[in-house]
Amino acid sequence: MHNLRSVARLRSSWNLPGLCLLVFLGLSWELLVDLNVISYEFLPSPSQVAVAGERLISSGELGRNAAHTLVATLVGWIIAAVVGISVGILLGLSRVAWGFSVATIEVLRALPAIAFVPVAILVFGFSLEMELIVVVFVSQWPILINTIEGVRSVTPAHQDVARIMRLGRLEHIRKIVLPSAAPHVIVGLQLGLALALALAIVAEMLGNPAGIGYALSTQQLALQPENMFAYVVVTGLLGLVLNAGFLRLAALLFPALTALPEERV
Amino acid sequence: MDSQHQDLQPGSTGPGAAEVFACRDVSVGFTKRREAHRVLEGVSFTVRRGEFVSILGPSGTGKTTLLRVLGGLHSAEPGSDVRFHGVPVTKPPEGAVVVFQDYRASLLPWRTVEKNVALGLEGKLSPALRRDRVANALDLVGLRDRAKDYPWRLSGGMQQRVQIARALAMEPEVLLMDEPFGSLDAMTKGQLQDGLQRIHQLTHTTVVFVTHDIEEAVYLSDRVLVLTGVPARVTREIVVDLPRPRDHITSKELPEYLDFRHAIHTAIRGSEREEALERERDA
Repeated sequence: MHNLRSVARLRSSWNLPGLCLLVFLGLSWELLVDLNVISYEFLPSPSQVAVAGERLISSGELGRNAAHTLVATLVGWIIAAVVGISVGILLGLSRVAWGFSVATIEVLRALPAIAFVPVAILVFGFSLEMELIVVVFVSQWPILINTIEGVRSVTPAHQDVARIMRLGRLEHIRKIVLPSAAPHVIVGLQLGLALALALAIVAEMLGNPAGIGYALSTQQLALQPENMFAYVVVTGLLGLVLNAGFLRLAALLFPALTALPEERV
Repeated sequence: MDSQHQDLQPGSTGPGAAEVFACRDVSVGFTKRREAHRVLEGVSFTVRRGEFVSILGPSGTGKTTLLRVLGGLHSAEPGSDVRFHGVPVTKPPEGAVVVFQDYRASLLPWRTVEKNVALGLEGKLSPALRRDRVANALDLVGLRDRAKDYPWRLSGGMQQRVQIARALAMEPEVLLMDEPFGSLDAMTKGQLQDGLQRIHQLTHTTVVFVTHDIEEAVYLSDRVLVLTGVPARVTREIVVDLPRPRDHITSKELPEYLDFRHAIHTAIRGSEREEALERERDA
């Protein structure tokens, strides 16, 4: 729950001083490049990037690519959420299931995500299917692990309360276990969402010929750095929007969670 | 309350008829670092319907363990006999509800006050009936106007009242209270004691009340069981027949009140001395 609170703080720190620094850094970059203080052959100034971005937007190319990446990220993340949460609840509740799967989970989780991408390309080909599989495989880990941890976070005191209040097994899961797990699950979903976007782009760079990742690598081959920077900026904005949207949704679905007092969070 | 249980009592006028809890030779042990520790040994007592019984003893004597045994949350050693209306207790018995000492840990922070109180009623009563019960329970503890608040927005005393309301909403026959006012300041404690006394007289609920506070035990109880020793047993039983309703000022000025206080103090001190002597003999 620490993450949740700190992210909420991060969002509320989008204030005037924060924006001033951002503007200042942008202006310095502009001046340093324009005055040739730093001169790399392929480093454009922010204004050149803006012009390129405007051109990509009006041609519809940027919109098309961003939409593809956004859809792949969200679809992959939703599948990962369904898989991660349901398997997580099962493994969190059942000692037997956990005993059978702990070794597999530890091995697969330790596998660096990137190493998996070329293999996935070979097996599934240059396709959207491959992209989704990579996204789901990678982003479900934090969701799974946090859900397991959350399900196990039920306190002994709450277990006593459940027994005294004569809650049945299903009631216990619904009224005690799931609410206890919710803050952990939300943190997992948030981490998973960031990973989903990153892996969608990696998969597009290497495999699936579509979306922002593919655009980045073709613009690189075409020696168009200002176009590349425009795409990088769009990726950053996409990440911000996804995270903010997710937090808004979480606050809507779990009002008690966001209202929790400081010391409990 | 439950005809099946009453049938087990031969002749409903007999001495066993009004017995809610009956404990005989109750022993409880723990294994700590592969060493067996006995907490309670040969504890025997009964609790009658409508009675207010306190289990009093120094900290660490196993009062809470004994209460958890009564509440079906902890099992006693083989050979112990714990019965609720004549039926051996193996799980939380229907009709007995525990009020825990740590109110902060036992209320559900994601539920509002009224939803916390409704916890044990959901799916068992119609929504209308449930609302009535919750409202009545909150009225009894004087917290109806805080129904929509989250519990952690309330003071400690109020949170403990929410927990008491949650137990009362179940309309229990017995309240098992584990040092419910132990972590509250003296003033709040006094208020809640009077609140509990009023509820006890209004609802005729049987109360088993664990405490280490001698004044509290005398003030509230019909009977005080003094638990001392390692392993602990009931070393003294004192019937407190002070007139009710009791009052913090007038009741505590009665010579009888002071006598009861005196008797319990000496009982505890006496058993401490005996233990010391025993230890010397053993050494």
